[in-house]
Amino acid sequence: MRSPTPFAPEPGSPRLKRRRESPHDTFWTVGAGGPDAVYGERVLLRPDGVSLRLFEPGRSKLAAGLARGLAGPLPRPGERWLYLGAATGTTASHVADLVGPLGRVYAVEKSLRPFARLLATARRYPNLCPILGDARWTERHLGLIPPVAGVYADLAQPDQVGIVLANCAEFLRPEGALLLALKTASMGRDATPEEHARAAHRQLAATFDLADPIPLDPFHRRHFLLAGRAARGPGASGSSGPPLVPRVPERATSRPAGPRAGPRW
Amino acid sequence: MAVALRMFRAADRILFVGPTGPVGRSVRLDPEVAAALAGDGGGGVPGELLGELLRHRPAGPLAAADPVLEGTAAALGLDPPVGRAGRRAARARGWPVPSAAEREFYLRLGALRLRQALADPVETLLTLAREEERLERTSRREAAAAEQFLAGAEGGPAEYAERWARFREGLEAHAALLRDEVDRRARALLPNLSAVVGPRTAARLLARAGGVGPLVRMSSSRLQLLGSRRRPGAGRGPRHGLLLRAEGMEAVAPDRRGAYARSAAGLASIAVRMDAVDPTLRAERLLIRRARRLAALAREASR
Ligand SMILES: C[S@@+](CC[C@H](N)C(=O)[O-])C[C@H]1O[C@@H](n2cnc3c(N)ncnc32)[C@H](O)[C@@H]1O
Repeated sequence: MRSPTPFAPEPGSPRLKRRRESPHDTFWTVGAGGPDAVYGERVLLRPDGVSLRLFEPGRSKLAAGLARGLAGPLPRPGERWLYLGAATGTTASHVADLVGPLGRVYAVEKSLRPFARLLATARRYPNLCPILGDARWTERHLGLIPPVAGVYADLAQPDQVGIVLANCAEFLRPEGALLLALKTASMGRDATPEEHARAAHRQLAATFDLADPIPLDPFHRRHFLLAGRAARGPGASGSSGPPLVPRVPERATSRPAGPRAGPRW
Repeated sequence: MAVALRMFRAADRILFVGPTGPVGRSVRLDPEVAAALAGDGGGGVPGELLGELLRHRPAGPLAAADPVLEGTAAALGLDPPVGRAGRRAARARGWPVPSAAEREFYLRLGALRLRQALADPVETLLTLAREEERLERTSRREAAAAEQFLAGAEGGPAEYAERWARFREGLEAHAALLRDEVDRRARALLPNLSAVVGPRTAARLLARAGGVGPLVRMSSSRLQLLGSRRRPGAGRGPRHGLLLRAEGMEAVAPDRRGAYARSAAGLASIAVRMDAVDPTLRAERLLIRRARRLAALAREASR
């Protein structure tokens, strides 16, 4: 009997596993919301109780990006991510898997019907925080979204790049990560998909160090994934005026300072 | 670095207290947030988390290591093995241990907003109209694929054909219910627009515009093209969008449909303004103008 193909953790995100298979590798995320499938995806239950959820390129643009060689930045355990355009939570649930039980995904969706399903998914996902609202209203979400390590956006709107920039300026930490799934079909037909992708890249390049747009075909036609990091912390520039909470004296900690100060949350 | 902040809440204000006393001024909560919190007896939401939520900019003292939220997260213990370890680690660092899961807060706020939105007849109609449009599109695509398959397989496997027929019946019944509901709500909310262009088209126009306000503010030339696939351009631009499905359009000769769309847009923009002021049916004069226009177009075609 052949031994099963092992799952190897991806270097960029330990809760993402790659399985060498033919004709191509598959990606799996370590489930953070219990052993049941969220949208009918394949789930493997390991004897130790850990569940692995198949992350299919045809279902999710992030998975398609991985299949097309996306190197990062990826959501990592313990991080908080802002997810714009979560719909029913297909990809958002996988992002929640990647940040794990100590991370958070703040998932913004404006349409009522998908939101109702997102809410149902969030009931069993301890780290998925659904927010019903329009991503354009960043100021209405100030009380709901803390500074985040990364922003994932999949809005399929003509002004998606502008919406993403506004949200990054408000919520993304310095040097935070950005993953943007770009649907060029909703950006108008007066340019080719590649031209749209290059224009979006240019528009973001002032704030972000971006890799070249990754085309997502054949999984999602005329879609691209843009990935990178904020070059100079867009969040820092928004902080004019005195901080809301003045500096609090540091408490002395009795912990010995080791080479590793503690687990990474 | 570890900072312990406690939150005290009174009605719609909260105050943070650090190890050395109150920190800053009290902060007013968004009324919606305050409403979601009301009734949880003050202990339901981890104050430390809210403290973080209330905008500590990266320049603020809490942003550097962010221990407050990390402690909160660690202490939530939602995934048992990690949670217990996290809880221990949080205690060892002196991080505050919150009283309840923060996600409860988001779930409750989400459910509250959803309820509020669905209580709003405009929002409900928008949602149903989008759903109806999507269903029409997808079931057409699905039907074409199934029929092609059945034709290609020479009648197709009997079991498949049977299952498809049953599925199709169910789908059509569901679609019919949805259409009735959309029509009924459109007639109630936009009686005059529904009279002029038909309730389904009225609902779709509303859904595409995103609300009554945007639809009222729209010029009739935008209304004419609302929902069109092509972009207006110097060459042969689009003549109609959603109005192609306006009532009366089926009787117009194909090359006169742009002309009728223009008239229908003019009438529709008057009708929707009437609806915005007072949603009662009083569109007789608009209907007379519509009939006259249709008759004129029919005469042109027969000439
Ligand atoms: C392509 S779908 C997202 C699919 C999802 N990311 C996935 O892979 O599972 C785009 C979603 O963005 C939502 N959306 C569009 N504009 C938005 C906005 N301004 N604010 C919030 N959500 C928006 C739409 O309602 C839609 O559900």
